[in-house]
Amino acid sequence: MKSFLTKLAAMALLLIAPISVLAANDCDDTDFSVSISIHCGNAPSATFDDSKRLWITFVQDQNVYVSHSDDLGKNYSTPVVVNPVQEDAEHNGENRPKIIVDRDSNIFISWTKKTSPRFTGEIRFSRSIDGGKTFEAPRTINDDGLFTGHRFESLYLTESGHLYLTWIDKRDLETSIERDEDYAGAAIYYAVSTDQGASFSSNYRVANNSCECCRIAIAPRGTEDIAILWRQIFGVTTRDHAIAVLTPEGKTEEMGRASYDEWQIDACPHHGPTMIRSGLSGDYHMSWFTNGDLHQGIYYARYSFDESQPRYVFRVDGRAGAGHPYLAEYAETLYLVWKGFDGQNTNLSLIKSVDDGASWTDPVVLHTTAQGSDHPLIVSGDDGLYLSWHTQEMGYVFEKFTTNQERPADD
Amino acid sequence: MIDTLFPSRLFSHILLSSALLCATSIAVADNLKAFTAESFEEIKASFEGEEFLLGLWSVDCPPCMVEMEFMAELLTLNPDIPYVLVSTDPIDQREYSAEFLEDVGLGDKGSWMFADSFVERLRFSIDPNWYGELPRSYFFDSNHAMKSHSGIVNQELLKEWFNRPLVFR
Repeated sequence: MKSFLTKLAAMALLLIAPISVLAANDCDDTDFSVSISIHCGNAPSATFDDSKRLWITFVQDQNVYVSHSDDLGKNYSTPVVVNPVQEDAEHNGENRPKIIVDRDSNIFISWTKKTSPRFTGEIRFSRSIDGGKTFEAPRTINDDGLFTGHRFESLYLTESGHLYLTWIDKRDLETSIERDEDYAGAAIYYAVSTDQGASFSSNYRVANNSCECCRIAIAPRGTEDIAILWRQIFGVTTRDHAIAVLTPEGKTEEMGRASYDEWQIDACPHHGPTMIRSGLSGDYHMSWFTNGDLHQGIYYARYSFDESQPRYVFRVDGRAGAGHPYLAEYAETLYLVWKGFDGQNTNLSLIKSVDDGASWTDPVVLHTTAQGSDHPLIVSGDDGLYLSWHTQEMGYVFEKFTTNQERPADD
Repeated sequence: MIDTLFPSRLFSHILLSSALLCATSIAVADNLKAFTAESFEEIKASFEGEEFLLGLWSVDCPPCMVEMEFMAELLTLNPDIPYVLVSTDPIDQREYSAEFLEDVGLGDKGSWMFADSFVERLRFSIDPNWYGELPRSYFFDSNHAMKSHSGIVNQELLKEWFNRPLVFR
């Protein structure tokens, strides 16, 4: 009886008290009712809305949750569950739930639902039109009705209000199998919503023969198109990167090869790229991992659609254990964070460029941990850039790493 | 800190204990073992003076399935091949892995599974120069000199690696 009352009291407390810092080590994986929080959950994504409120989504115990913070991540609201029925939402570094809030305070959430242990999944979408109090029943956006792979989704909202979902899709592989034909890898597909997520277009194919298991990076192209960067199979086994522009009408344009590393591998790298549009030149800043014949390690390059070439190719980190870069730009300065492991610790490093990626500063280590951690992400705010990083040791780290004025954080 | 706010931790510990008891009884139902930072040395010690093949895999890796089906067939023709599997999936997702192993015909073989969320350390314990790509294979000769390969292993590679004669279909 006593323990029941204790539990009841603890739950009541959770309902009224915002959850404060709770390191992941303190989380109890066996009783989620007392430890649903961003710190105990997995693979979070975060974004700011127009009123500077921080919104996060994460996965815990087969639920996708949304929570918000009005004090830049010190305290979070009680998480609201997005999927009323538990489902196996993917929650790892390459494949996590995504969150976007539009200017009308609609909250868009996407994730991949794993449907079997054989790489099958569905692209799921839900939204809240009441400011995050409730979420609509999740919908499946892939429209082929096939029990096959639809995974590694990415979500992007353009300035024009077009909401894009892109993903890796295996429907064409299934068709080839039926015809007894070979098919390398998977395909890239997308769908667009022009009504704030109320409905989505049919699915459009971007390219055949993509790699099967790397996240897709998205950046704006004009006000309503997007540019995407993904790992593609060139020839038989070369897994380098391709870039293309997608339109709301389902057209793929300006497709090109974005990296020339010659990574000959018949395997899953599980290392997806990052990409943003330069505010200075309008070119595209890209960073990725490769272990190719020409390049090995984390690389940066700037891609111009006019020239269809990567330029300013720069080796960010060639040491073993380096991976998972993420790019952002603020006040005409470009920032790149990534993870490395030195045999004992994981180091989170940062470099900067003030000349549009032509040259870079020496690395600065932002954090060190001797326990497990997620891929690092960067969230852009009005007043600077914030690191979004889930760790076992520190729980969810959300902290600003740019100074208020301007440029380098270590200057 | 929430755990200083209220004695909910005490209750959690009671639940944790009972859950662990359940987990122990479930664990014997499959053929999966926890791979920690010490496991690789343990595996090597168990093959002292012998050659062996280590195969790293995940349920998230389509080429792994191709490789493992190939290896399952090879094992039916060469049952004595010293072959050790290590899954990089977290051991709390063991149901998926057990099903996958059955599907590819390696259910009896079993596998180790990553059992530490600090996966970088586990990867490093096997090979600092492995970036996590899968499938990844390591061959150790009888002196335990190591050769590595990323991507699906094939007949030529195994013939080159193994000292013993292998029968292929």
